[in-house]
Amino acid sequence: MLATLDVVTLSRLQFALTAIFHMLWPVLSTGLAIYLVVLEAIWLRTRNPLYYRQARFWAKLYVLNFGIGVASGLPMEFQFGTNWAPLSEFAGDFFGSVLGFEGAMAFMLEAGFLGIMLFGWQKVPPVIHFLSTVMVAFGANLSVFWILSANSWLQTPSGGTFSEGHFHVQNYFAAINNPFMVRSVIHMALATVETSMLVVAAISAWSLMRQKAPEFFLFSFKLALVILLAVAPLQILAGHESAVQVAEHQPTKLAAIEALWDDQAAGSSPAWTVLASPDEASGSNRWSLSVPGAFSWILETRPQLSQPLRGLNSWPADQRPHMVGLLFYAFRVMVAIGLAAAALMALSLLLWWRGGLSAASFAQWPWFSWAWILSAPAGYLAIESGWVVRCVGRQPWTVYGQLRTADAASVLPVGEVLTSLSVFAVLYTVLLVFALYFGSRIIAKGPNLTLEPPAGLATAVILSDASESA
Amino acid sequence: MEFLEWFMPTVWFVILALFLLLYVILDGFDLGVGILSLTSPSESQRTILMTSLGNVWDANETWLVLMGGALFGAFPLAYGTILKALYGPIYLMILGLILRAVAFEFRENAINKRPWNLMFGIGSVLAAGSQGICLGTVLSGIPTDAAGHFTGSAWIWVNPSSLVVALTLIQGYVLIGSTYLILKTSGELQRLHVRTARLAAATTLGGALLITFTAPFASEALRQRLFDPAFLPFFVVLPLLGVALIVQLFRSLAMQQEVWPFVYTVLLFILSFAGLGVMVFPAVIPPSVTIFQASSSVSSMVFMLTFIGVLIPIMLIYNIYNYIAFRGKVSAE
Repeated sequence: MLATLDVVTLSRLQFALTAIFHMLWPVLSTGLAIYLVVLEAIWLRTRNPLYYRQARFWAKLYVLNFGIGVASGLPMEFQFGTNWAPLSEFAGDFFGSVLGFEGAMAFMLEAGFLGIMLFGWQKVPPVIHFLSTVMVAFGANLSVFWILSANSWLQTPSGGTFSEGHFHVQNYFAAINNPFMVRSVIHMALATVETSMLVVAAISAWSLMRQKAPEFFLFSFKLALVILLAVAPLQILAGHESAVQVAEHQPTKLAAIEALWDDQAAGSSPAWTVLASPDEASGSNRWSLSVPGAFSWILETRPQLSQPLRGLNSWPADQRPHMVGLLFYAFRVMVAIGLAAAALMALSLLLWWRGGLSAASFAQWPWFSWAWILSAPAGYLAIESGWVVRCVGRQPWTVYGQLRTADAASVLPVGEVLTSLSVFAVLYTVLLVFALYFGSRIIAKGPNLTLEPPAGLATAVILSDASESA
Repeated sequence: MEFLEWFMPTVWFVILALFLLLYVILDGFDLGVGILSLTSPSESQRTILMTSLGNVWDANETWLVLMGGALFGAFPLAYGTILKALYGPIYLMILGLILRAVAFEFRENAINKRPWNLMFGIGSVLAAGSQGICLGTVLSGIPTDAAGHFTGSAWIWVNPSSLVVALTLIQGYVLIGSTYLILKTSGELQRLHVRTARLAAATTLGGALLITFTAPFASEALRQRLFDPAFLPFFVVLPLLGVALIVQLFRSLAMQQEVWPFVYTVLLFILSFAGLGVMVFPAVIPPSVTIFQASSSVSSMVFMLTFIGVLIPIMLIYNIYNYIAFRGKVSAE
């Protein structure tokens, strides 16, 4: 079978593998950083060592995660040169600049202050330390902005002209602020915060279920829940908005994620397919389960379509995405997880409000704990599914409508790409196993509940306590 | 416009050289310490070595990411052509950097540290060696067609001269790593690294001499540049300065100085780097594709410069602050 693989497919597989693996790590680097900022702010405000210990414990997971994120990010950048040289030449004027900005503005900021955030508690004044944590979080979120801007440009290229096999930028700000940018950045930033909070809540729920450090983990759980309360509903809205922009700018992708084979006229009221078995050979679904008349409600919140929708069959086979089944289900997995997370959050909030949410609840209701524990891997799955929808759905284009993926790949010896791909596959599997192993060891060991804040600050606490009691 | 078409690619060539130089110096001592960690006599001493890198390795590695991004944005053609030609060593370098970074974090949490120690050291050797191979291959020239696309074989990087550069760069990293450790440690560990520094200085010197004397035979373009009368003063002064610095380095090591060995090594790195830069300029894909042929549009470079140019001093300031905050000797916690 390998003999039939061409170099474009191999380079795509390698990009997919390295991107899917890489995406696991920036989630916490971005979302958990915000949590660390909140914790440190509470600690500085209250001077209660509990919050200092919170910051130190979650930072342990943060650093384990961060190192792998940095390392697995390297192949992402270099692949554009090694495996996608024609794309680099085609779009380098803009795409390369944006990656350069990301490095200089975001990545360096994050890395430059990370050392102080992790090891500088005794070395710098508390205010500088807090500022460093803020810079780490700010840098990570700026990364989200630049990377999503660059990726959105591939989805909706704008801000210049295409000629002689090159993209010529005419308006940089229009290219950065391309039609997909704003909503994609928001959707991704919310996703990292939501999944990070699910991770914090899951670890807290697991520990509470076993009655480990209950006071500590009940606080971290509740804080994560409060943040989720703001984020989860917004994310549903942002997700809907993203689907609307796909309908507007990428009709082929919309048709694929909905397994919509035939054209739908404006004013019609098509059914919404819940589950189906898409069959590309016949250009139809083998079977489907659908809700009559629901499609336009979901897409436009109105009873009839205001615009006609083109089905997959109306495009030539080389102008629309394939792997319709993958796109159809990846989209549904993402949406289902988003909705389920919001429902779990609402249920927990209700319990809390009714006074039923205590450290004991988690041991009392294992199903409740397990629902939260499983929400963390589900969060990652939702993010990966979303990226599959975004990038597989863009096919056969690398730069939508302008540069085909087949033309964007370097002509390389098959053996070369096969070798690097195989090494990545083995290496990443091993890394993932050990990352989970060491992560679970940190969790099993739990927080250090006797850790004392830095000496300088302890004095400050004593002084402020004294002044308060006086 | 005429002026900008000459000026902008030149500015970006200088910025790229700056990023690469900062990377080679800063991650150079990280990788050097990583290689040296293979020889640490005890676990507690190895811990000190690792702690000396804890707060900086990540930011140091970021200069490479920045260099990549800047090369991509300013010279997209070079980015595609060079990285495609260096497919093998680039992925070996990435592999080495991944192993290094991951071993660093895993070791922290492991009870049995031995496999991670080994992985940390081997990753460092691999990254350093493949960087040397990349450097050696680029210096001896990358064959391209008229459009600047790579036309050579996938094994272009396998040759004696890039092997010599690789071995020399490994030695150079060990040297700068040793002098960094002289700066950051004390007692027995410091004395050990005075010895490794002396050894590495000798082997680096040997490699550098070999490269210098074989360079004229490596490619026609290098030969022309080296014997070009316009550059003659430069290529006469450079080795003299180098000799003076090496003498100073050995003297400062003999005198058990703490700061100067590192300073002289950094100056030697800068000097070698300047020499290489002048040898290839204005080629960005040596021997034939110049920065003017490979550059992105002038407006693109101006746009990038306005953003990144402002950020360069800011990045330098907070990186320096990081070093100041953690100044002084490393102690085993």
